[in-house]
Amino acid sequence: MTAGGEPLEDPRWEWVRAAALAPVATPRGLVDRVLFSVRGRSGRGIADPVLLRQDGGTLHVGERAVVALALRAARAAAARIGGIGVSAAAMAGDGVDLLVTVHYGTRAAEAARRLRVDVTAALTAQFGTAAPPVSVHITDLRPGS
Amino acid sequence: MNDTRGPGSPAGTGEGRDPDSTLLARAARGEAAAFDRLVRKHTPRMYRVALRLTGSAAEAEDVVQEAWLSAWRAMPGFRGEAAVSTWLYRVVTNTALASLRRRAPTVSLDAAMGHGGGGDDPGGTLFGKGALSDPHANPEGKVVRAEQVGAVLHAIGQLELSQRVPLVLKELEALSYEEVAQVLAVSVPALRARLHRARVALLARLGTRL
Repeated sequence: MTAGGEPLEDPRWEWVRAAALAPVATPRGLVDRVLFSVRGRSGRGIADPVLLRQDGGTLHVGERAVVALALRAARAAAARIGGIGVSAAAMAGDGVDLLVTVHYGTRAAEAARRLRVDVTAALTAQFGTAAPPVSVHITDLRPGS
Repeated sequence: MNDTRGPGSPAGTGEGRDPDSTLLARAARGEAAAFDRLVRKHTPRMYRVALRLTGSAAEAEDVVQEAWLSAWRAMPGFRGEAAVSTWLYRVVTNTALASLRRRAPTVSLDAAMGHGGGGDDPGGTLFGKGALSDPHANPEGKVVRAEQVGAVLHAIGQLELSQRVPLVLKELEALSYEEVAQVLAVSVPALRARLHRARVALLARLGTRL
């Protein structure tokens, strides 16, 4: 482009138009993982409260709050652990389910255990001993970085 | 990977009734099927924006999921002042920006885009894992096209966010000036000025790569 020229008339702008036309593949299962996270496995709706039993009463927490907290804690933990990625979180019954992918070469069982421990600790810090149990489901493998 | 598609024309251009608004109203009343349809319809578009803004497939997935959680929470307050698609562009853009700002102190964009070497990129990058492809080109054309597209997307990824976001929405997503202005909550004249600077900056960066 010459100084003061119109960028859209520059021949290289054809590259930008080509980039705009390049198809982008939606990751397999992403829609399902979104629905899983938003609705929960039970399909009952994320606006429904989760009931956490405590001494002397019951703590009502919005399911979306539990899921959002679990998801954030899980992603932070996965970044620390390495070799594992969190695809989704959802309430399933009285507990939290985490869907994860594991990179080739990662010791899956150990990574999943550490993830469950770390997320459980994060939820316990928020909700005390009434925190919901955490289950980890390995749903896919992917090449390592 | 499935559901490959290029950028379609944005739904709801402000002319006539936005068909998504009915779905959104039903979803806000708790109708799961309506929400499902919105998610299935708009997730590919939202993922594409997230991918182009972040340059990381894994981060883009996270962004899309967080964006839908935010959208779900915000649905009851949606007043229909913009098309649903425009509103979802705003949600995913803001979520992507928040994600980029969180990672900024520790991960360079070059590393995230796969050009810095040594970066931890668990989900693959835009260019390294076949996220972008042209299935109809001949082999030689594919290579050339991929290099051109890669150069453009890498250059866009190096722009500062205030330029990258409007450029992605206007030039890659083909939104109108008015729609981009709505997404970014800026005036159209201000957007035009920002876009001009972004286009000049993009060409300058492309020039350094050739």
